[in-house]
Amino acid sequence: MNGRRPGPDPRRNATQPDELKTALGSKFGDRILSVEPFPGMAGRVRFERKAAVEVLQSARDDLGFSHLSMVGGIDWVDHREVFYVLWSDAIRQYVLFSTDLPADDPRVESVSGVWPSANWHEREAWELVGINFDHHPDLRHLLTPDGYVFHPLLRSFKLHEPEELEVKSRHV
Amino acid sequence: MTTPATEVARPKVGTMAFEGRPVDDELPMVQQPGVPFIEIEALRAKEFIPAAKEALTSLIAEQGQAKLIRPVFNWAGRNSLFPLHWGLACCAIEFAAAFGARWDAERFGVVPRSSPRQCDVMIVNGTVTWKVAHKLITLYEQMPEPKWVVAMGNCATGGGPFRTAYSVVPGVDKLVPVDIYIAGCPPRPEAFLDGILRLEQLIRERKE
Amino acid sequence: MSEMWINMGPQHPMTHGLWNLRVRIDGEVILDVDPEMGYLHRGIEKISEDRHYNEVITLMDRCCYVAGLCWEHLYIIASEQALHLEPPERAQYLRVMCDEFQRIASHLMWYAAFVQDIGLMSPFLYSMRDRDLVLDLFQSYTGARMTYEYMRVGGVRNDLPPGFTDQARKVLDWLIPRFHEYDQLCLGSSIFHKRCDNLGILKAADCVAHGVTGPMIRSAGVKRDLRKDRPYASYRQLDFDVAVADGADVTGRYLVRMEEMRQSVRILRQVLDWLDRHPGPVMAEQLPRWLGAPYAPVGREGYLLKRNYPKGVGFSAVEEPHGEAQAYIVNEGGEHPYRVKFRSPVFGNISAARQYLVGYRVADIPPIMGSVDVCVGEVDR
Repeated sequence: MNGRRPGPDPRRNATQPDELKTALGSKFGDRILSVEPFPGMAGRVRFERKAAVEVLQSARDDLGFSHLSMVGGIDWVDHREVFYVLWSDAIRQYVLFSTDLPADDPRVESVSGVWPSANWHEREAWELVGINFDHHPDLRHLLTPDGYVFHPLLRSFKLHEPEELEVKSRHV
Repeated sequence: MTTPATEVARPKVGTMAFEGRPVDDELPMVQQPGVPFIEIEALRAKEFIPAAKEALTSLIAEQGQAKLIRPVFNWAGRNSLFPLHWGLACCAIEFAAAFGARWDAERFGVVPRSSPRQCDVMIVNGTVTWKVAHKLITLYEQMPEPKWVVAMGNCATGGGPFRTAYSVVPGVDKLVPVDIYIAGCPPRPEAFLDGILRLEQLIRERKE
Repeated sequence: MSEMWINMGPQHPMTHGLWNLRVRIDGEVILDVDPEMGYLHRGIEKISEDRHYNEVITLMDRCCYVAGLCWEHLYIIASEQALHLEPPERAQYLRVMCDEFQRIASHLMWYAAFVQDIGLMSPFLYSMRDRDLVLDLFQSYTGARMTYEYMRVGGVRNDLPPGFTDQARKVLDWLIPRFHEYDQLCLGSSIFHKRCDNLGILKAADCVAHGVTGPMIRSAGVKRDLRKDRPYASYRQLDFDVAVADGADVTGRYLVRMEEMRQSVRILRQVLDWLDRHPGPVMAEQLPRWLGAPYAPVGREGYLLKRNYPKGVGFSAVEEPHGEAQAYIVNEGGEHPYRVKFRSPVFGNISAARQYLVGYRVADIPPIMGSVDVCVGEVDR
């Protein structure tokens, strides 16, 4: 359409990181470690792992981030990180919540009581990155076969080169 | 006045009885590069029928199996290849497109069937993972003989772009014997039909 | 006493993809559902950690194979954020054109599979024929029917061939009466209504709680579309409506997808007009040397140099034909991404299976799962 003005940016009155910081910091104090800007989102909130369920429940009920989009894990070799991406219909923005887990004890409370959609995301994060979710209703393999003992997305899990893949053929 | 048979009259298959030429029943069938024929000497009626039966049995056993029955079976098999209605990954979409109106695969007699018990050919169209390997082998073993496997696409041929992945079988020929490999990622429907036609050529040349 | 778990899959004519739907049934009534995924888990996220940024594009096409260009777009937006690059405007419009044609092709493929599940056979042939027309358009400018590898970090690979926009308009003019024909074939059939009305109901609150997005939540009356709520590429400049239906049932999802196809045609007409009037570059000019891949305007000698590249993170969200897809890319400096995480819309849609399958009958499973529009490649990645 020639000569058409672009519509108003629905994120013009968007939530900024410092607004998130005041809203969450007043409730949780120093269990919110930091709130940083993040490209394309309202912000990135780092919190302590013990407060996972409370912070995320407050994000849903008080801040209006009603939709949990994904839960994932990242393996930084000396620690692991689990992140939650939430969406708010009211302000039409995403926000990223993340917490760091020590490498020797990668456990965090499951949020599938808050959002049932977290169920499958946490199963996948467990089997691929090795993060244990306490009180998860159904923690079993989703994408990898039952009984697969490895957590493939850890940096210590190395893939083969194509030339190394000489699997003995069944019918040779 | 009939001549008493001094010996059991047996037809000479594949030999030409010349005068003075030794005629031996143990001579091999194709002695000369000529056309074999049955030489039926004067036989009586009650000796004729078992002799004819034996002649026809040996004829069919030696030549008819190769010239009459096997070709008919091959013709029937290659013109009615029933693949398993199974799609693994992206190549399955091109497999489905080959059954659309533009590249009509059904004109070759290829009709997908849902049950492996009714199928001749299993077209492995997509990446084979270790999780599905057991089920794939089970489906292959559920198919009745004669059966063929077509590895469609690069993933089924050798793992494709996912060869280095931890969960991918580098080629379905590690699990089941493959007759035709169709390269492509994904192979176009024309390539898939070419693979089917090559399979038909393979079946045409089937000897046993 | 006649309760049992049965396996529908991984080889099943209904499933349209490699997954196993385990249902616990009592006679014909479904009591519980346990979808079993992972038969197509190819480890795309792990392989991407060994690939150059432009080489991951090949995996994105195969991730969701019916909507390949939308997943390329998703990955490209996130990686451009992570690499601090900005594509030119013509590339943005080309990407929107790719997305919308891909939406039409994906919905036509959905339609072909869905009507086969209902029991109608001829609409499958009609929609595959029309989908082949759209794939012909793709082939004319990307070179491939299905796995395109067309988008690059910083832009797209090449511009359109001459005469493409006229050809595309002809295809759009052909498609509009075909959509009406498809509606007549389906909505005009009382069997379709008996099979599909009030089936597989998933209300709006359940959709939000279970992470269900896309046509499923729009059929529940929620006007939620990322192209309007959080516009990316050139969607802010384009004029279209969001397709919404009331019933939250299978017929509602059918109506939403048919209307989305019509809105895609509307968007495409605007995009094609813009593309005709605004020639320009399709690739960003300031590509870093180390990103030099065959189709970037820098030489290949910059391909493998290791230096201290800037770090970054990128997040993108795209309204894919199946719903909302997201990508989160962590760039720790280096030619390979450190972590690539994708969120597939069908992942959320299938995880809510217990909500919209329990209580119905086994014969209702094909229409309901057909309306969910399963593409297993993106669930399993």
